[in-house]
Amino acid sequence: MQTADAIVIGAGIVGASCALALTNAGLKVLVLDRGPVAGGTTGAGEGNILVSDKDPGPELTLALRSRDLWFEMQADVGDSFELEAKGGIVVARLDDAPLKAFASKQRSAEVDAIEVGDKELHELEPHLTRDITSGILYPQDSQCQPMLAAAHVLQTVRQRGGEVVTGATVTSIKTVDGKVVGVETSKGSYSSPIVVNATGTWAGEIAQMAGSHLPIAPRKGFILVTAPAPKLIHHKVYDSDYVANVASSDADLQTSTVVEGTRAGTILIGASRERIGFDGRMNVDILRRLAAQATSLFPILRDIQLLRAYRGFRPYAPDHLPVIGEDALVSGLWHSAGHEGAGIGLAPGSAHLITQQITGVTPFMDSTPFSPRRFQVGVA
Amino acid sequence: MIAVIGAGPAGLSAAATAAERGEKVLLIDSSPRLGGQYWRHLPSNWNDDRSLHYDFSKAQALFDRVLTNPLITRHSNAHVWQAEKNDGVFTLFVVRDGVEEKVIADKVILATGAYDRSIPFPGWTLPGVMTPGAAQAMLKSHGVLVGKRVVVAGTGPFILPVAAGLADSGAEIVGLYEANNPIRWLLNLHGFILNPSKIAEALYYMKKLRKHRISIRFGKSVDSTSKGFATVNGKRVDCDVVAVGWGFVPDLSLAGILGAQLKVDGDGTVVVAVDSHQETSVPGLFAAGESTGIGGSTLSMIEGVIAAGGKGKFARWRAQVFARGLQRVYPVPTNWQAKLNDQTIICRCEEVTLGDICSSVDELGAENGRTAKLFTRAGMGLCQGRVCGRNVSEIVAAKRAEKVHDSERMGGAQRPTAGPISLGELGDGLQKKF
Ligand SMILES: Cc1cc2nc3c(=O)[nH]c(=O)nc-3n(C[C@H](O)[C@H](O)[C@H](O)COP(=O)(O)OP(=O)(O)OC[C@H]3O[C@@H](n4cnc5c(N)ncnc54)[C@H](O)[C@@H]3O)c2cc1C
Ligand SMILES: Cc1cc2nc3c(=O)[nH]c(=O)nc-3n(C[C@H](O)[C@H](O)[C@H](O)COP(=O)(O)OP(=O)(O)OC[C@H]3O[C@@H](n4cnc5c(N)ncnc54)[C@H](O)[C@@H]3O)c2cc1C
Repeated sequence: MQTADAIVIGAGIVGASCALALTNAGLKVLVLDRGPVAGGTTGAGEGNILVSDKDPGPELTLALRSRDLWFEMQADVGDSFELEAKGGIVVARLDDAPLKAFASKQRSAEVDAIEVGDKELHELEPHLTRDITSGILYPQDSQCQPMLAAAHVLQTVRQRGGEVVTGATVTSIKTVDGKVVGVETSKGSYSSPIVVNATGTWAGEIAQMAGSHLPIAPRKGFILVTAPAPKLIHHKVYDSDYVANVASSDADLQTSTVVEGTRAGTILIGASRERIGFDGRMNVDILRRLAAQATSLFPILRDIQLLRAYRGFRPYAPDHLPVIGEDALVSGLWHSAGHEGAGIGLAPGSAHLITQQITGVTPFMDSTPFSPRRFQVGVA
Repeated sequence: MIAVIGAGPAGLSAAATAAERGEKVLLIDSSPRLGGQYWRHLPSNWNDDRSLHYDFSKAQALFDRVLTNPLITRHSNAHVWQAEKNDGVFTLFVVRDGVEEKVIADKVILATGAYDRSIPFPGWTLPGVMTPGAAQAMLKSHGVLVGKRVVVAGTGPFILPVAAGLADSGAEIVGLYEANNPIRWLLNLHGFILNPSKIAEALYYMKKLRKHRISIRFGKSVDSTSKGFATVNGKRVDCDVVAVGWGFVPDLSLAGILGAQLKVDGDGTVVVAVDSHQETSVPGLFAAGESTGIGGSTLSMIEGVIAAGGKGKFARWRAQVFARGLQRVYPVPTNWQAKLNDQTIICRCEEVTLGDICSSVDELGAENGRTAKLFTRAGMGLCQGRVCGRNVSEIVAAKRAEKVHDSERMGGAQRPTAGPISLGELGDGLQKKF
């Protein structure tokens, strides 16, 4: 296919979901990626689909809708990516008052947030330290295997007439009179009046190719993986500092624990947040902090062996909101990028929102807070 | 101070040489005793072990030099799990007898050796099927004979001592199968001419085999195994243990963590790149032994000496010629994939089959070993792809009628941690203010 109704750049979870939504809306879609499917941040994170960590506001509205769309996507594509409404539990180590206040705000925004006391908490998580006596249960929190999800979603796109070309690096965005007409890649050129930039952490580069700009930068994160163990942890369990970290702009290192067991028996412990560019080096101190926090929540993990650690670069925007919508300077160039540490969770919701905008359907929510315009017009 | 990691032939030579040149040396090894893979031995009776070791006197001499030199400190049961280099100084994080310690060194010599290469075939994950290295290790370090009726197969000179050692200890070798043809030895004639001692070594093992009436069957390999027998080139051979090995894979974890340049050897094996002094691309970081290329214990010892500042460049060249000759004589047959079927397990930790890997390529568009891993979990288990990683890459490449890229081979050899550490020990490091 040299011509498409829409070109999606990026075969991560955000690009894949977007390609499926556009295909289902009747467009002939071409997906391009310089690497393989899920070779970017989608293959270097975890699969949390969370509502528990979000303050009431546009991102939470998007997250709630997106969470339901994950299950719709599963019904559409097939049960092939380990989607599970596992539920999350947030606990506070010291003072649980802020946690309870946060939960009550969330409840008013239609989040299920159930206060659990000492006895129930330890029934839900028998190995949780006895020092913690209360928590909030978030039954909507879910998880998936994001690499499999991206692959199966793109497979469905192919079956429905779309095309996926991997190993094709986009090198320029072609425009005529400020309107997109196609892209140039290492594998040839393709034309289309619509180009969706779903290149995550690298979205700024694509914007620049079109003569526009987007301030998306990397925020590095480490995850620990343990050797397989019997089922010790039943939900996603977070320290409440996690919520504070997620929303922070502090460039310094932050770590706060999210502990969860996987189907394969390994336990994932995430995640640190640092803004130090694309610096891939291992940082032993971060691994120590993650381990110390996880073992203080679950002392039984002390004897479990570390299997490996890996890292990825979350795509983040200065205001920590994703960028979803048409470029203010180049018409026909759309962005769905900058989802930071929530790109898996927010992928189908973002796809839905951008497809409604592209096809001229009234969006299910006000999309202005996500508009790229906020970084492109009226800023010095 | 010089830290030498690994106490096999290369590490022992490096430690002895460096100490004799007046340097302070810390010799770190994860095993309880000196010797590495090759000179593995039982706790007490190294002296009664002679029969299991061809060059016993060389080993004994090295042990003596290391044990009696006051400049050498030894840490056994000590595993370097992580390493850093900052401001020209190396920091090694070592788990010794379960407790983590920090070691500071100005120079590090990696002598971390290699492990057996496995290639899957139907039945290779059954109990009783193992690598020759495992069979030999049971014997050398635990005095345990793995079975009564043993098939030894694969390729390379290493299967001969394993068969001889097992026979000496009372096992019946019901078959010794070398996949390659002896005519290929012509490819290494110059290696033998330059290294006549290798002829003596080969004859030593031949004589032992003859004594036990074991003959080598050439051009044959194990097709599959089932409980109680193996099928070799279509024929049933009754046995209770099958030991199959296809050469070695260097352990490059620490080299990779410290950022040393790796390279792909002629036969696809990834090794650490070193200069004529055995120094890697990271100044002050040296490598010797199997991690720089599979070459056997003689070459390992020479490299250890050079890495520690000693002489031996001509001897090294001679031994390298022999080692390269061996690569030509004993290639892994390219048809190994033809023996597999869709149900054959490729990744044993995660029980991923050939069928799973093929559908990740056909249906999900996996293009290389890494994506196949993300889609199937092959290589995500306990061994972290040490056993299956290379095989998965080669299966995916063959399916796509491509060759495995060097960058993928090198990426596959990188491991973010070089060994086990418990989460408790890891977290406690915060208090220790490492
Ligand atoms: C440690 C860590 C943990 C995380 N945990 C979670 C979690 O639990 N839940 C959650 O929701 N999110 C999580 N995230 C965040 C999540 O992984 C990301 O937000 C998400 O993967 C972004 O998806 P994407 O499709 O936008 O980007 P990517 O997956 O990075 O896809 C972008 C694609 O664009 C391609 N590309 C770039 N430039 C070009 C070009 N010029 N030409 C062609 N192609 C190009 C790249 O090759 C890449 O494949 C985590 C992230 C990290 C690092
Ligand atoms: C199982 C096996 C059996 C062999 N048998 C024979 C034989 O019979 N005849 C023959 O000619 N050749 C044999 N070889 C080949 C021979 O082992 C090598 O040529 C030789 O041992 C290489 O020496 P080396 O010093 O490079 O490594 P090794 O002898 O492998 O020594 C490496 C040492 O480093 C230690 N180590 C590795 N990583 C770490 C770490 N992170 N921290 C601390 N310590 C670490 C290991 O525990 C090991 O003791 C065998 C190889 C293997 C794998």
